[in-house]
Amino acid sequence: MTLVASAPVSLLAGRRAGAAARRTLPALRSLAGVAAVTVTVLFLASVVTFGLGALSDSNPAAAALGETATPADIARLDHEFGLDRPLAEQYVRWVGNALTGDLGRSWFTTIPVADSIRQALPVDLSIAALALVLALLVGGGAGIGAALSNGGVFDRAVTLVCSLLATLPPFVIGMALIVVFAVKLQLLPAGGYVPIQADPLEWLRFAILPALALSLDVAASIARQLRTSLVGELRENYAVGAEMRGFGRRRVLFGHVLRNAAGPTLAVIGLAIPLIIGGAVITEKLFGLPGVAQLSLQAAERGDVPVVLGTLLVTAVVVVVASLVVNLLQVLLNPVARRGGGARGAAR
Amino acid sequence: MTTVVALWRIPSARLALVLLAGVAFLALFGGALAPHDPLKQYTDDVLQGPSGAHLLGTDYVGRDVLSRLMEGTRLSVIGAVEAVLIGGLLGVPSGLASAWLGPRLEWVTLRVGDTLVILPFTVFAIAVAGTLGNGLQQAMIAIGILLSPIFYRVTRAAALGLRKVQYVEAAELMGATEWWTLRRHIWTKVLPNVAVTAAHATGAALLVVASLAFLGLGVTPPAPTWGGMLSSDLGYLAQQPWAPIFPALLMMATVGSLNLLADAIRDATGATDAPRRRTRSAPSPAREENRDVVRA
Repeated sequence: MTLVASAPVSLLAGRRAGAAARRTLPALRSLAGVAAVTVTVLFLASVVTFGLGALSDSNPAAAALGETATPADIARLDHEFGLDRPLAEQYVRWVGNALTGDLGRSWFTTIPVADSIRQALPVDLSIAALALVLALLVGGGAGIGAALSNGGVFDRAVTLVCSLLATLPPFVIGMALIVVFAVKLQLLPAGGYVPIQADPLEWLRFAILPALALSLDVAASIARQLRTSLVGELRENYAVGAEMRGFGRRRVLFGHVLRNAAGPTLAVIGLAIPLIIGGAVITEKLFGLPGVAQLSLQAAERGDVPVVLGTLLVTAVVVVVASLVVNLLQVLLNPVARRGGGARGAAR
Repeated sequence: MTTVVALWRIPSARLALVLLAGVAFLALFGGALAPHDPLKQYTDDVLQGPSGAHLLGTDYVGRDVLSRLMEGTRLSVIGAVEAVLIGGLLGVPSGLASAWLGPRLEWVTLRVGDTLVILPFTVFAIAVAGTLGNGLQQAMIAIGILLSPIFYRVTRAAALGLRKVQYVEAAELMGATEWWTLRRHIWTKVLPNVAVTAAHATGAALLVVASLAFLGLGVTPPAPTWGGMLSSDLGYLAQQPWAPIFPALLMMATVGSLNLLADAIRDATGATDAPRRRTRSAPSPAREENRDVVRA
């Protein structure tokens, strides 16, 4: 998601604005821009999700009763779930309910969709968070190391491993991890799950392999981007100057350059969030985790439309919120973006 | 034509083109040339290692792995190519239109792109399968739609500002029609970028198709695909830990070739890759990095 300064807010910026206002108003403006984009994207995501449901020809009677459903059953259940109303009315009601946390009931089990998702979501979120931490550690370390040994053996090794990782589907990496750590070394379980609130250590034992499988892809793109921007920044005058004044390369890198190189890397992380959430689907299946994707897959097999739509909408919201956090971090980190200049530059 | 010659001069591009030609050959004739029926189950030889009768061994119901790989190439490749075609057909014209017609629809189209970008491939494909039915066509249309914003952004970035370039204005002053300028001046600038993106996107689509097969979406089981073979090997890792290597190698070679080809097109034409937002200084170091890959 890009930051775009929205026009109406700029009208508020009076000509006699003081120095403090000159500093904060653009920041507020870019925040308002972010808010406008976020709301629009969420609205469009809800339209896409609802549109899928509207295009679907499955109905609650067929999902619940299967082949034995009579036309009378179909009409009765359609009426019960409000499917005989005009589409616009259905959409407004669906979004209104979703805003209050009600995503409807499963056609199959009549369990509220929100309840099922509330049970499954922590599994994905905790593993995705662990994966993000691992990706930052592995990718950050590899990127910094590669930039320090620019052109050296370690740099080439990192580049090669990143290119190879990019040619394999994520579940193959997960399979390789299972073979090595679960089958051969028998160190970690090959599947299963313990909730984090029940026993954090046991959770870590079950979560570490899925999180590692999930993180490697992202770690590779973090390493690549960090190396590229670090190498670029190290050539800038301020870095060369600091080095000439006698600071060691490491000191310059960690003291000056890293902060400036972090911006593009954060952007990469922002773009990688859909990848992590999408990859979570694969790792859930691979490691038999009771997450949102399992819920959605089972529902898809039965044609249980409310569950499928609910999970898609929740996934979109999770991605949007996570991207928003990354965007705000970027703004905090980068004085240019904070002043609103970066926001306009990023729109192109 | 000169571009193709320039491309052929780059060793990594030559390797990639040869490998991709091989994959295309397999996709077209692999099924016909396969030594065994890919669906026939040799129930006496279940989970065999490579041997004279079965060059790459047999799978868990005794089907010939080599034949399944050859036959499976077709569905895997066709699926990915179809998704990329859909993505290109949706993304390139809308990108051109957005750059050509100016900022009127820009904000909305950009937001549509943002929305499609945040939907993860696998989750969206599951939702499409759950609502519109499970099949290769539905899955590929879904992936194509999600790929389209990449094409849109690349096309738009390349075409942006070209309208004001002097030679375009000169052509229009001399009486060239809009259509002619678009084809002659704009398209030649945009095409290399689209080619780079298409190569990358095809690789990505191959991986997504494989992931979907792993989830049981897209191609239905008895028909072989690379992803389906990989995921069925998963259940027999204890007996045959090396079995996933064959489909994985084929996939790595194909996707790796596509990535090498994309880098080579970029080097040969000076095209830029998908614009990573907020990384203004990225292009030149990125290209250096890719040359490192080529030499390694």
